[in-house]
Amino acid sequence: MAKQGLKRQQNRMAAVLLLPGLLTVLVFTSIPALTTLSYAFFHWQGFQRGSFAGLENFRRLFAFPFKDQLLMAFRHNILVFVGIYIVQTSIGILLAYALFKAPRGQRFFRTVAFFPVIFSLVIVGYMWQSILNPFYGPVNYIFHAIHWDFAAQTWLGNTSTALPTLVFINLWRWVGFPTIIFLAGFNAISTDYVEAARIDGATEGQIFRKILLPLLAPSMTIVTILTFIGAFEWFDLPYVLGGSSGGPAGATDTLALMFYRLSFGSVDSGANQIGIGSALGVIIFAVVGVGATYGSKFLRAREVEA
Amino acid sequence: MTKMQRSLRGLLAAAIAATTIVVPAVVSSSAHAAVELSFWSWRPEDKAFYEAEAAMFLKSTGISVKFTPYVATDYNATLATALTAGKGPDVMQIRAYGGMANLSDAGNFLALTTKDVPALAKVAPGMLAGAQGYTDKQQFGFPYSTSVLGVMYNPDLLSKAGVTVMPTSMSSFLSVLQKVKAAGITPLGNGTGYAPGLEQMWGALAPAYYGGSSFFNDLVAGKKTFTDTAFVASLKAETDLYKYMPAGASGLDYNTARGLFANGKAAFYIGGNYEISYFRSLNPNLKVGWFPGPAATVGGRRYVTTWADGAFAVNAKTSHKAEAIKFLNFLSSKAFLTAAANQLGWIPPLSGITSSEPAIAQMQQKIPTMGTPFLTLVGFRYGTPTSSSIMQPGFQKVAAGTQTVAELAKTIQDGVATWYKPLAGK
Amino acid sequence: MKLLTSKVFFRAVLIFNSFSILLPVFFLINSSLRSSNDFASNPMKLATHPYWQNFSQVWADGAFATYLKNSVIITGGSLIFILVFSLGAGFVLGRYSFKGQSLVTGFILSGMLVPAKLAILPLFIQLKWMHLLDSQLGLILVYASGALPAGIFIMSGFFRSLPVDLDNAARVDGASELQVLRKVLVPLVKPGIAIVAIYSAIPIWNDFFLPLVFIQSPEKKTIMQGLTLFFGEYSSQWGIIFAGLLIAALPLIILYLVLSEQFIKGLTAGAVKG
Repeated sequence: MAKQGLKRQQNRMAAVLLLPGLLTVLVFTSIPALTTLSYAFFHWQGFQRGSFAGLENFRRLFAFPFKDQLLMAFRHNILVFVGIYIVQTSIGILLAYALFKAPRGQRFFRTVAFFPVIFSLVIVGYMWQSILNPFYGPVNYIFHAIHWDFAAQTWLGNTSTALPTLVFINLWRWVGFPTIIFLAGFNAISTDYVEAARIDGATEGQIFRKILLPLLAPSMTIVTILTFIGAFEWFDLPYVLGGSSGGPAGATDTLALMFYRLSFGSVDSGANQIGIGSALGVIIFAVVGVGATYGSKFLRAREVEA
Repeated sequence: MTKMQRSLRGLLAAAIAATTIVVPAVVSSSAHAAVELSFWSWRPEDKAFYEAEAAMFLKSTGISVKFTPYVATDYNATLATALTAGKGPDVMQIRAYGGMANLSDAGNFLALTTKDVPALAKVAPGMLAGAQGYTDKQQFGFPYSTSVLGVMYNPDLLSKAGVTVMPTSMSSFLSVLQKVKAAGITPLGNGTGYAPGLEQMWGALAPAYYGGSSFFNDLVAGKKTFTDTAFVASLKAETDLYKYMPAGASGLDYNTARGLFANGKAAFYIGGNYEISYFRSLNPNLKVGWFPGPAATVGGRRYVTTWADGAFAVNAKTSHKAEAIKFLNFLSSKAFLTAAANQLGWIPPLSGITSSEPAIAQMQQKIPTMGTPFLTLVGFRYGTPTSSSIMQPGFQKVAAGTQTVAELAKTIQDGVATWYKPLAGK
Repeated sequence: MKLLTSKVFFRAVLIFNSFSILLPVFFLINSSLRSSNDFASNPMKLATHPYWQNFSQVWADGAFATYLKNSVIITGGSLIFILVFSLGAGFVLGRYSFKGQSLVTGFILSGMLVPAKLAILPLFIQLKWMHLLDSQLGLILVYASGALPAGIFIMSGFFRSLPVDLDNAARVDGASELQVLRKVLVPLVKPGIAIVAIYSAIPIWNDFFLPLVFIQSPEKKTIMQGLTLFFGEYSSQWGIIFAGLLIAALPLIILYLVLSEQFIKGLTAGAVKG
């Protein structure tokens, strides 16, 4: 009797407490996301929806002139993922390991490493634009001062250095994040394993490679998945630094920027293409959703093996 | 009451308080005692000018105007979302030709007659076209300024380099640039980092190569294509000048580039009349000379490229229609346009207004004899991809050596042909 | 090899990293204290005579105070929704077992994957239909919805980690379910509340994209959006722009300096639990 009463009370509570949150997500996230899906199958004239289009928008996205942009943007997203992943993960592990092994002053170093994470990309973007400006920026000023004129590049203006420069700025801003995750990972590893290995005569390098690194797998999963999602939805930093057309000459274009241009039009083009833009949105969503889901399944399975 | 109870209750109370603070803020914004017009623009740098003018308008009419500028690159998206949301401004600056076709086609701008805005009757047809519907030719804006492209120079720097006679043909222009460079002065302030600037640079030089308006008309009619040798030559005319740009030109943003010229660090700047007010804001004492783009061959014909820079339009859904039209008449008045000509370097569409800026006055003089429409802007902005959106990054690719001008011409042709029927399949 | 594993090496790595991180920030602060002309002549000089006029000019511009106030309303309003709703839902998911629980969890997880940016157009049209465009409440609900899935997820992890006996003991004492939540559990998940609050607030405060599309009235604009305007208005007055950037970043910088331990502990706790 009492138990049934409790169950009923709990059911009512569950409904009252769950619904506001779930409804908010449903109305302001899930429904709009599903609607994007439907937009991709209609003709659009400006902001007016027209007739049913079938797969026409997808076909046009994969045909001239959008195809070239699409493939280039997609290539950039992949490069950015690989670049950020390699650089940020290795430096993150190095910093985390350094914090782990040399804990004196850890609090200070940790606080500093994580500091840029709280900066808005509007601020990060303008700051680095000034620092790297070829004419009044301090970086090239220093290069010129020490007569290293060859090193005084136009970092953000050169089609071959622009994307790597963005990856570098991303590193500056974000490296504290994997660092902290990896540090927590190191701290979570039982000291027993390390002690046992040390008694067996293992060197520090062996302990790092054979014990610590494999046991870091859960942290690695988190960092990998978040980097993947971040890289394929990369918008803010390239938008702030290269504009909506991914300048110079599309060298920093990404899928999300292309989506923005198709949805709203760019400065030199008043005609927006909502249908094609939504088709691209569906593709980005599919890449991120499928990649993140299967990626984390795969990585979690490896964790168990390790 | 326990501590936890209090904390939770406090939280809920705060939630309720927050909604009650936020909700009235949303509701109350529509109630105004006196009429205040909202007026939007993509020119944050002109804020002081517009606010001073709005104060004069308030004095004479009792209608206040709130000027709100947006970042130029965000303006299209901002205005599009605002108008679609029914939250647009009463009066606004709009981009010319197809620049806002999606908004004008959707009927967001009030149709204007010469009865509403008498000044429209005095504007040349080519300018009026800048704010007309592509198909219905309905006038929906007052084009406020003719933009003129050409070559600006710093006479002091040139005399230092021993240049006293201004070039009239491309070959003499190139030898002048060479001479300036040999004198240790950066010849050209332009950079390739700012993509729209490359299209404007092309606009200043190109008509002399493809032959001005007759080629333009043939292209629009589909009798010629973008792969025409004359058009390819016009692209090459620009890229031949890249070697006279400052070191690091690919990283030059718009303001840094203009800053080089304004601060006397570059002898020439190829661009539009609208640059001069920015030069003046950085260096009020700068001397600016001007000449039209050089002829392709010695003794050949010269042109100045013109287009309507933009227009002022009234929101079709404004609740202050009479006041908005009154303000539009103020914006098209001789007094306002004279102030804009002197302070912002505009070239007003009405005759009889001469700018106090010598270079601008010179441009005004040349329009009747040398004027030709800005090909990419006036003709091919009504669909996606526009010729501009291909040309701008295309020039950057040529500068980086990853594309030839012939390939660029081909990409423009193929891109525009996807939506511009007269050029399709050519 | 010996060197590479020595404390000296690790200390050197940490010091080098701190320099790389702090130098650009120092450049920002230093430049904000120099006049624009001074900056243009040499970007590297120290601001030995602080040029405070930059800050007073930013403030005199007037709009900054409004932008800051709006950002506070929007960030604070969103936080209230996020915290109240994720406490409730996190409690239910972490402490109860009911039919369809995995469905609800799946739904929340899928919500974490949807980026608001990709659904921006339908959201725009939907908000228009709901009369929530150009409304701070509308923006707050969109932000709340974006942060809720992660918030609920983290909170449910915290609730789940508490011993089961806790609430049963309270129930035996005659506490209602709401009382169990309020009196017994909420105080114990305070660290979780701090994490959710901090990690929801940062991206909301820093966002410039959603206000661009969803807010039209100039007087409702947020600070990050206002900053972009500032760049246009003072295009080459670097000193003023740098001062504006600093003012916009200051609230989070202060929060971070005061609560840095919570920021960092929260991240690891959230990551481990998530």
